Amino acid sequence: MDFFINILGGFQTAINLENIYYCFIGCLFGTMVGVLPGIGPLAGISLLIPVTYGIDATGAIIMLAGIYYGAMYGGSTTSILMNIPGESASVVTCLDGYKMTLKGRGGAALFISAWGSFIGGNLSVIGLMFLAPMLANFATKFGPPEMFAVLLVAFMLLGSLGTGSFFKTMPMVILGLFIGTIGMDPLTGTFRFTHGIKELFDGIGFVPVALGVFGIGEILISTEESLLRVIHKVRLRELLPTRDELRASWGPIFRGSGIGFFIGLLPGSAHVLSSFISYMVEKRLAKKPEEFGTGRIEGVAAPETANNAATGGAMIPFLGMGIPTGPATAVMMIALMIHGVRPGPLFISEQPKLFWGLVASMYIGNLILLILNLPLVGIFVNLLRIPFRMLFPVVLLICLVGTYSINSSTFELLVLIGSGVLGYIFRKLGYDLAPFILALILGPAMELSFRQSLMRSAGSFSIFWDSPITLTLISLSVLLFFWNLLKSLRSSAKRGE
Amino acid sequence: MIYSIVFKIKTEVSPMKKKLSIPIITMVLVLTITNVFVAAADYPTQPITLINPMPPGGTLDLQARAYATVAEKFLGKPMVVVNKPGATGMVGTLAGAQAVPDGYNLTVGSVNLTNAIEWEIANGRKPPFTRHDFIPIGSFTMSPTLFIVPYDSPYKTLNEFINEAKSKPGQLAFCSGGLYGMSHLPIEIFARAVGLKFRHVPYTGGGPCLSAVVGKHVDFATQYPPTSLPLVRGNKMRVLAVVGAKRLKSIPHIPAVKEFGIDAEYYGWVGILAPLKTPKAIVEKLREVTKKVAEDKTFIDMIEQPGDEVYFLNGDELAKYLDIESAKIAKLDAELVKEAPKK
Repeated sequence: MDFFINILGGFQTAINLENIYYCFIGCLFGTMVGVLPGIGPLAGISLLIPVTYGIDATGAIIMLAGIYYGAMYGGSTTSILMNIPGESASVVTCLDGYKMTLKGRGGAALFISAWGSFIGGNLSVIGLMFLAPMLANFATKFGPPEMFAVLLVAFMLLGSLGTGSFFKTMPMVILGLFIGTIGMDPLTGTFRFTHGIKELFDGIGFVPVALGVFGIGEILISTEESLLRVIHKVRLRELLPTRDELRASWGPIFRGSGIGFFIGLLPGSAHVLSSFISYMVEKRLAKKPEEFGTGRIEGVAAPETANNAATGGAMIPFLGMGIPTGPATAVMMIALMIHGVRPGPLFISEQPKLFWGLVASMYIGNLILLILNLPLVGIFVNLLRIPFRMLFPVVLLICLVGTYSINSSTFELLVLIGSGVLGYIFRKLGYDLAPFILALILGPAMELSFRQSLMRSAGSFSIFWDSPITLTLISLSVLLFFWNLLKSLRSSAKRGE
Repeated sequence: MIYSIVFKIKTEVSPMKKKLSIPIITMVLVLTITNVFVAAADYPTQPITLINPMPPGGTLDLQARAYATVAEKFLGKPMVVVNKPGATGMVGTLAGAQAVPDGYNLTVGSVNLTNAIEWEIANGRKPPFTRHDFIPIGSFTMSPTLFIVPYDSPYKTLNEFINEAKSKPGQLAFCSGGLYGMSHLPIEIFARAVGLKFRHVPYTGGGPCLSAVVGKHVDFATQYPPTSLPLVRGNKMRVLAVVGAKRLKSIPHIPAVKEFGIDAEYYGWVGILAPLKTPKAIVEKLREVTKKVAEDKTFIDMIEQPGDEVYFLNGDELAKYLDIESAKIAKLDAELVKEAPKK
């Protein structure tokens, strides 16, 4: 009974003209931050924190949370239309989303992505509402050995992410891992591959690399073929997904919601991991997995739903325990602290108005975002009517500004351009880019958790099978490894015939 | 801007340019000095930039923004916080040291600064700047860390913990928010004071380290009050002691390590620094303003609501504190370098 009173109280707080206004501002700003490559939810929230000084804690957190989940809606736009990931969580969306645009189905991809985000967002708020007290402890159970086991599974899946052969994917994974090792090693303070260059001490950020290989690389390629490219005149009814596309999306949307929510609970790069794992699950379940990467709607629906569902999951350790698991939730926690609210294990019971108000506002926010994003589909798709010779200089500018806005570093601009050239060469040689970026993001996290585990156990490997969680996950990854091996051996044997 | 020109000319070594550079440098210097004299009388006449060398959203950012908001009231001109993160604060602090010393470019100083500089020196590298490149304006917090253990940890008091650690040398593990950082060094100081050895697992940030304590992935840690106390109140972990000389107002029942006769003091300070050549009149004005800020009710609330305490040191006191602190950290770092595994 208490539960319903709380929920009603929450809606009472959220459906107040002022709070709906803050929610709207947050969602709008979040969408913009998501659409613009480079600027992510972290920068967006940090930028708006000073604005929240003048409003109460409830309004402030409603607005900042709006930016957070709003950014996950916007992230897919540039991935689908231009093959430039708007957020790190939308890297996988490029694979099928952009192919759909080339087929003239960009509108449908955007529509499904907004729809999937809406369902995923709402389901994860339901999860947050019912499971927060139960799952708050879950995140802290994930220490270094558990994180390593999760990432190991992810890497086993990474090998079969690409459309090409195992031998075209693996070099890219290895290159991504290598670039991830550059910079100061957080566990010993040793500088690796920095050659005394100060800008490399913090390592190479993945945003300039991702924008470079995807964005700049795409521009370079298109200068070769822009004359040949057919610009699709999009009619209104082509914006909407066909009945088949809608039917094919239901499964990925529901599975993506579940996967996204639970992965969202994990520390670290939960959004990236959730979008990538839900994509791989769909690929495994598909009747024709080889069609993934050629413009399947499932390949857009699953990751875009999952990265939204992950926001609800990520809110649980932050609101239920006061332990933020990612940078965006950490900044939100600071914002609450500025307002004199200290999230902790007692937060939900001591600040029911704030917690339930926020939960209720997330339903409203998701609705606002759906209403905001569906008409935008038409506008964004029409951007593609602009001739490439005019569109791409603008895209180039956006990539440059997006990169510079993160750390005001000119060195990162060089990284951007350098990776652009690299991206061009990779495309020419037919290598896949997504495994490269994912290895760059997840590699350092995996190395860190592996070595932290061994530091804890003073070098004993038994730490990796002492807990049931790690034992299960490590067995799973061993299975995946042999399955991959068997499959690629079989397919190369077939080719040999 | 002007300084960057001088800097560029200085770095180019062709003799032709060297000849030319002398008059230019003189001219630029004369111009800057006259400019500064004019500016000192009715300072400030334009917005002041406060460089925060840490990323947005951290406790340091929170406190810097609180300072800037309140200082505006006394200065009559806006103070804008600009985040320049990178290399544990080295990037932004270097920018602050090289900024035009006209009073319009200030830098947020913190314990990270001392740590980073002394670590560079201990490793035989020349740091790009030292504390002597700055004039301390004043500092407003001086927080000790809390000695925390998981809630159902077998150790109920600090003495129990020390006895257990003595029987298992090098086996109890702790986490920190970063190697040789502000939550690692307090434990090194503590360990030396009681003559113990522990196993260190560095994490990337205070949040993950707190999570590791709650999840019992490590045996103990030291973290700062604002982030630890909510978890203590929620029965997710316990505080055994305050790593410092005095008890804290917010948890008066928790003893300080000094009461056990353990001489382990380490404080996270946050303050304001000006570039070395900033005119004396402007420095005086800024020091006055900082004192007023530290006594301001709004400012105290902004710092104390999240769980910290305002502890004001004026410019001279801060300079003295930094001398002592730097010497202490230098000694510790030298020992840590010796202990570090050979590369």
